[in-house]
Amino acid sequence: MNQLKLLSIQGLRTEFPTPDGPLAAVNGVDLEVTRGDVLGIVGESGSGKTVLGLSIMGLVDRPGRVTAGRIAFGGTEITNYSEAQWQGLRGNRIAMIFQDPTTSLNPVQRIGVQMIEAIQAHRDVSTDAARQIVREAMVRVGINSPDERLEAYPHQFSGGMRQRVVIATALLNEPDLIIADEPTTALDVTVQAQILRDMRRLCRDTGMALIWVSHDLGVVAQIAHRVAVMYAGRIVEQGATEVMLKSPSHPYTAGLMASMPANAPRGQRLVSIPGGLPQLSNLPKGCSFAPRCAHATTACDVLPELSPTSPDHAVRCVSPLQERS
Amino acid sequence: MLAFILRRVMQSVVVLFVMSLVVFSMINLVGDPVDMLVNPESLPEEIDRVRRDFGLDQPAYVQYWKFLTGALAGDLGNSFIFGRPALALMVERFPATLELATSALIIAITVGLPLGIYAGLRPNGWGTRIIMGGSVLGISVPTFWLGLMMIIVFSVILGWLPVSGRGETAVFLGIESSLFTLDGLKHLILPATNLALFKIAMVIRLTRAGTEEVMAQDYIKFARAKGLSSKRIVRAHLLPNILIPIITVLGIEFGTLIAFATVTESIFAWPGLGKLVIDAIVNLDRPIVVAYLLFVVALFLVLNLVVDIIYAVLDPRVRLQGEGG
Repeated sequence: MNQLKLLSIQGLRTEFPTPDGPLAAVNGVDLEVTRGDVLGIVGESGSGKTVLGLSIMGLVDRPGRVTAGRIAFGGTEITNYSEAQWQGLRGNRIAMIFQDPTTSLNPVQRIGVQMIEAIQAHRDVSTDAARQIVREAMVRVGINSPDERLEAYPHQFSGGMRQRVVIATALLNEPDLIIADEPTTALDVTVQAQILRDMRRLCRDTGMALIWVSHDLGVVAQIAHRVAVMYAGRIVEQGATEVMLKSPSHPYTAGLMASMPANAPRGQRLVSIPGGLPQLSNLPKGCSFAPRCAHATTACDVLPELSPTSPDHAVRCVSPLQERS
Repeated sequence: MLAFILRRVMQSVVVLFVMSLVVFSMINLVGDPVDMLVNPESLPEEIDRVRRDFGLDQPAYVQYWKFLTGALAGDLGNSFIFGRPALALMVERFPATLELATSALIIAITVGLPLGIYAGLRPNGWGTRIIMGGSVLGISVPTFWLGLMMIIVFSVILGWLPVSGRGETAVFLGIESSLFTLDGLKHLILPATNLALFKIAMVIRLTRAGTEEVMAQDYIKFARAKGLSSKRIVRAHLLPNILIPIITVLGIEFGTLIAFATVTESIFAWPGLGKLVIDAIVNLDRPIVVAYLLFVVALFLVLNLVVDIIYAVLDPRVRLQGEGG
């Protein structure tokens, strides 16, 4: 069982110093990802989901840094890796895909150059051999006539094509884990559906694990086996996708689901959660969501632990919704 | 591409014509060259004869017409002082200036580019503060004063380098230059460095600004996520992107190096174009001044065109107007 644990994060805290003291963008996160797992991380902008992904990659921009907790990958603790050790890991065992495909590729380098360098950074192979690997990866993500495409520049590609190139690049070294940070947000819905389908197939075929970061619960529901909902740097609810979507326990998750257009009755206004994300510099004493929560009581002044409600479901709430109903 | 170049050449001809008109009318407002050419105690008949010989007795528009028809035939008039064609004099002096300007440009790039990249990568380091402080000095301290200080320190006190002049030249591959002899190089170091100082400061500032801008781009983050080494990121992703604006500016700046080498050439008695034109202005040697100014205009026009073409080569997104559709 233990060797199946690919990624294990405990008490992770990533802080950014400000004149008013450090801000914890990620505030005590525990996560586990097993091989072949697809984990969705859902949250609003500013909930810390992107910083969490960057922390796992060792890519948090200074002056921000991981100040507490540990990250273990494939059984090895990587929290205190040196830059050279991170370089050996990044793009090799863990790959990352960013949100905006139009800016992820260097505009003045050919696609082929940008893909081949990702292979040669980790493996001592000839350029011809690398080119062959690149061709195969391009075909796998549905890019036709890869030979022509290799000589092209990014601006000659559509947004969807560019994101396919980025995904193909992430696949080149057959990583154990891919972190995808809102990879379809900048794309139109049909392209998004295609890419979701392709990613699902790739995970099934290759057995790699995927962390899919998104603000869109609907997208995550289509691809993830498990979902973790983040709010103000903390995970507030976590569980198997079907269980969680059927009966969300945290009022925030319930609010997110109620506000999805697909769940709204026809002819009625869309539901929204009142208020906005709290300032990280000025978090409420207990539950961060309490000021926006319709069920908040004085008991919410103490921060609850993330505690299991069923074998595959955990929630950080003093009065989870399930019990009430 | 060809249509683009042709159109630019046509525009250049118009600009040159307008410039000749401006230069010619302005210079006719300044002083009477005959005063400089004859002994003040000469008889009035003698003065009139000189005036007639040089065609200065005719109205300005006749003089201009003569100049224009001559210029179209490649004759920019004879120097009043030397009695030889202005163009030939300039061609004689040009290699010395070209050599000085080219050396200064090379110094500016080889010193400024690495320092600028260093400063851009470590915006808060001590090294960066020293570099940026130095570049403020380089931009604000007058060139002539620095030149004099350099002569005092390196030539007079330390006695390492010659005070002035061009030194020995040698012919290599059909080019006569002081770059090919030790004595010539010794003579070149001080004036070239002096001329380069301002440009070094400029290159540092441009490079730093470019580096900071490019390093914040998503494609740099994606390059890091691929596990590339810092060296590879700088060489393959940073440099090609910052070179685009730097080459644009330096192309134009090369023109100012040639055009405004006058101060440096005067201080170091460098027998180049700058010294020729300063002497010509003092002596009201009109043909030389006019020829020089037109030459400078033509130089800028050509450099602009060359920069546009290089730009298109460096940046695949740029397609020159007139190419294709």
